Amino acid sequence: MTANVATTCTDPVILDQWHPLLPLDEITTDQPNTAVLLGEQLSYRLDANGDPVVWLTADADATPLPILVEYLYVWTCLGSPPDRLFAIPEFSEPDRRNVHAGTIGVHVSAPRAVENFLDMGHFPFVHTDVLGAEPHTEVVEYDVHIDPDTNDVWATECVFYQPRAATTSTEGQMSDYLYRVPHPFCVILYKTTPLDKDRMDVIALFCRPTAQDRIEAHMFLSLLDPDNTDAAIRKFQQTIFGQDKPILENQHPKLLPLDSRAETPIRADKVAIAYRRWLSDLGVTYGVIPVSPTSASVTS
Amino acid sequence: MTDPTTLTDPTTLTDPTTLTDPTTLWHPVATMLDLPHRHIFHGQLLGREVAIWRADDEFINVWENRCLHRGVRLSIGTNDGTELTCRYHGWRYSNRSAGCTYIPAHPADAPARTICNRTFAAVEKYGLVWSGEDPIGKPPIVAALDDGTPFTLRNLPVNAPSQVVLDQLRQHRFQPVASLDANTARMTATEVNDYAIALTSTALTSTETDTTESSTAVFFVQPVDSDRSIIRAVLTEVPAQVEQLGVLRHHATALGKLVIAAETAAAQLPPPEPMVATINQVSLALSVMPEPMLDRQAPLRVQVARKWITAQDIVGFELVSVGDPLPTFQPGAHLDVHLPNGLVRQYSLTNGPGDTSSYRIGVKLEADSTGGSQCLHNTVREGDVLAISEPRNNFPLRRDSLRTVLVAGGIGVTPMLAMAQALKPMGLAFELHYFAQADEHLAFEEIRSELGDAVTTHVGLSPDETGAELARLLDGYGHANQVYICGPGPMLETARTIATAAGWPDQAVHFEYFKNTTEIDNSSSFEIALARSAVNLHVPPGKSILQILRDSGIAMPSSCEQGACGTCVVPVIEGKIDHQDVHLKQSERDAGDQIMTCVSRAAGDRLVLDI
Amino acid sequence: MIKLYDYELSANCYKQRLMMSLLDVPYESVPIDFFPGLEHKTDEFKKINPLGHIPVINDDGYVLWDAHAILVYLAAKYDPSGHWYPIRDPALLGETASWLLFAEGTTNTASAARLYVNLSYDFDIEACRAGAHRLFRMLDEHLWFREREGLNWVCSASHPTIADIAIFPDVVLSEEGGVSRLDYPALRRWTDRVKALPGFSIMPGIFPMGTS
Repeated sequence: MTANVATTCTDPVILDQWHPLLPLDEITTDQPNTAVLLGEQLSYRLDANGDPVVWLTADADATPLPILVEYLYVWTCLGSPPDRLFAIPEFSEPDRRNVHAGTIGVHVSAPRAVENFLDMGHFPFVHTDVLGAEPHTEVVEYDVHIDPDTNDVWATECVFYQPRAATTSTEGQMSDYLYRVPHPFCVILYKTTPLDKDRMDVIALFCRPTAQDRIEAHMFLSLLDPDNTDAAIRKFQQTIFGQDKPILENQHPKLLPLDSRAETPIRADKVAIAYRRWLSDLGVTYGVIPVSPTSASVTS
Repeated sequence: MTDPTTLTDPTTLTDPTTLTDPTTLWHPVATMLDLPHRHIFHGQLLGREVAIWRADDEFINVWENRCLHRGVRLSIGTNDGTELTCRYHGWRYSNRSAGCTYIPAHPADAPARTICNRTFAAVEKYGLVWSGEDPIGKPPIVAALDDGTPFTLRNLPVNAPSQVVLDQLRQHRFQPVASLDANTARMTATEVNDYAIALTSTALTSTETDTTESSTAVFFVQPVDSDRSIIRAVLTEVPAQVEQLGVLRHHATALGKLVIAAETAAAQLPPPEPMVATINQVSLALSVMPEPMLDRQAPLRVQVARKWITAQDIVGFELVSVGDPLPTFQPGAHLDVHLPNGLVRQYSLTNGPGDTSSYRIGVKLEADSTGGSQCLHNTVREGDVLAISEPRNNFPLRRDSLRTVLVAGGIGVTPMLAMAQALKPMGLAFELHYFAQADEHLAFEEIRSELGDAVTTHVGLSPDETGAELARLLDGYGHANQVYICGPGPMLETARTIATAAGWPDQAVHFEYFKNTTEIDNSSSFEIALARSAVNLHVPPGKSILQILRDSGIAMPSSCEQGACGTCVVPVIEGKIDHQDVHLKQSERDAGDQIMTCVSRAAGDRLVLDI
Repeated sequence: MIKLYDYELSANCYKQRLMMSLLDVPYESVPIDFFPGLEHKTDEFKKINPLGHIPVINDDGYVLWDAHAILVYLAAKYDPSGHWYPIRDPALLGETASWLLFAEGTTNTASAARLYVNLSYDFDIEACRAGAHRLFRMLDEHLWFREREGLNWVCSASHPTIADIAIFPDVVLSEEGGVSRLDYPALRRWTDRVKALPGFSIMPGIFPMGTS
């Protein structure tokens, strides 16, 4: 399944993952178009049956890469893919709106983008008057655990006061959040919806790394929202992500440092620290600065 | 004249390895024009990005351009004149020290650890800001600039290594101020150092009289990166006002050509390796996530709605709720305020009854502040969120007295104001005597004027005069009279003694110490038996009963933890008590049925506590 | 009320939102699913603007498109001071028109680079970035000399004009396209001054000045 062309990504953990290439409905023609994944240019088109096919552009034989279509996207793999992708059961619920809210290019590594998505402390400062507002800046203690069956990272019991939590909100509320990391470069959040107190809206970021320090970030939602137009839902999500983008692009280093001596955590960063440790335990080296046993300690 | 676009012969360039280590030198990193009010200047030196900002006290800060939290550039933050706020999570860093003063995500338990950005030296000279990685000595001395008056020309960035730029500068030409339009100047160059050159341009301005005019410009080259520089040019004399624009344009045009020549020359050379600035590791202590603060008992969140100077060294704070309405309080109550630097301090409410829209307190800046009053005076600002306890009332006011005397010394006036405002609408007779060292120290004028004649101020009295005054106003104890006293220790002692001597019974004399200044002797060891839980515990030397109870998992309230406020009181069933607090009255001490667990101990081997 | 056919992440649409905020003119923002929906290319939308692009305004039946043309209309109609589009001062008006053309340049370089990075537009990114730097160098020098004359804006008046508004978003969002402003200190000071204008409003990607 792996083409006989050297990939620029040499991280086997990442090569053996499914990665989201693009929304299925953006493959519309039998003429090939291209996209970059993990530093490799891929070509894609519809075949004679109207199904998507993907191959390494540099492969003269155009050997098809493994693909699957899930959650509105075509996913592909440059190595040996897992049997299946992580599960999002809400996707199949009949009253859900499943929306691709857009893909935005960001000059930062995928793990930095995932970590920003996991963070609530920036809501009052970066998403002012929407996801948070001063003086409601406190991040109260929440729980973090790794699911023993799926190995997903979970943050639960997260609570934050939000002036305008969703497109459907008309006033402020305490939002309950759950965060889940089922894949090194994908992150999902579940949040309370004003429409049904027993169910949650699902908002996800699926990152396609084009290089170690660049991504195309796909924004996916599975919502309970019969009323708002696609334009309104997409506007809300793109506004939020558009506010995050300059923060991400002003972080240094662009690759996520996994060494605990690189940055200063506070208690609100509990899930971020768990995510960094989880990436280390998985052996991920792409998009991160791994912990080096011989790293020079230049302390001041 | 050399064609400035001639290829630069790489062998004529100064070999960078022969230069003095640039990290030990001072380099110009900005001009003073780059630091307008509230701006943050984004600069770079030797491959390291810096954030440069001028505070309202004119101090120039040069900081590594990354927040220690998650590496976001500080140059996209905000400068409010005293602090730089990071754009990501609102962390605030102080002018001068670059220490973190506020972490909004944790107003209750911002760690008392020192989170400090990396700073670099900053010196203003010749209209430029000088800094360096690890500079030795002082910024360079250029006699021509010291003898003259520096005039900043337009500084230009160049995509060329500093030595290529200097090479071009050696051949640079410009006209003196007096003959800008001619093209006949003679140039002489003086090397200042590895990164600077002075050029003097001389031209004949009158053929009849053979007069020449000269202008000298010093060109400092800032090494931004291995392939980028900034030419910072300074004239040694300020041209006449009407000529300035012309001079600036002349030099900008001439340097513009030089920039093109330098970039062309640099393009012929192999691209150099980028300079990589070392980023220090975070200290081991800061790299570890802090423990959650348990037992902190600060359930309320309030925002500082107003901070004002109410007297010399005394600042008033108005605190409004961030969430639910504020709990009610009684006059005499105090709050535990959890400060952003990790300390906890107690402050009395000055509010009148029913006034629960906000809590108002007064904080005196103590000369020997251990950091509490200092933090509130200098660091906490309007808009900050603080964690506070619910109001604790260990100094309650009786409202059935025929006469109440309130005696306040210094900042001790705060609970007295609350008491006075409670008594007045009830029509109960009271007098508030406010002792202070000087008029400037009298606080909360707005409350006092509402209280009118009931308040008498006693200003600048000596200890003897104070004693005499106290004796006068405590003379004539009558039925249902009460006296409440709050102030510095010695004054409290005096007042209590005088009251007793004047016939005031113990139950009629109420006092509150803000501090316990007695030396605590915790060298004893003894047993405590908890009657209701049937538990026996050992209290060793160096540990308090309060600590031992908490170590055993028993939740115990506390506030000042120094034996002043009375919060940690526990009933005693059996055993003789070694009272070391200042809260209990003598009669209460004699009764022997309650103990301040934070400082008091067993006089004998054992105490039985009713918990 | 003015209807603005609008896309939140569009710099050209933001120019109109910013102008109307500065002029204190109320408007209704009609969100167009520009991306990924390509709604502006639909037949339905082309009934509003046959050229299929945004921003477009509809002011009580008067329909106008093209970002800089809309700025001209808004300023001419709604600015009683006559400062923003100075029709009573021909010399200043000429300057304003000249700098509006400059803004076309920043749109085609800096904003194009941003669209390439953000939304994968098919542009010659190296040419866009080089072009943006060339224009930013010119503008930085221009603004530096303005400062020496005690002036704060692109044109030679003591007040801003729509030229400042037309150029500002392309400049302040340039880093999203990979065009750094590290070499342009005068340009950065000017963006601070624009942000300090009464009625200034932001868009995602722009940070407000501090409140003190």
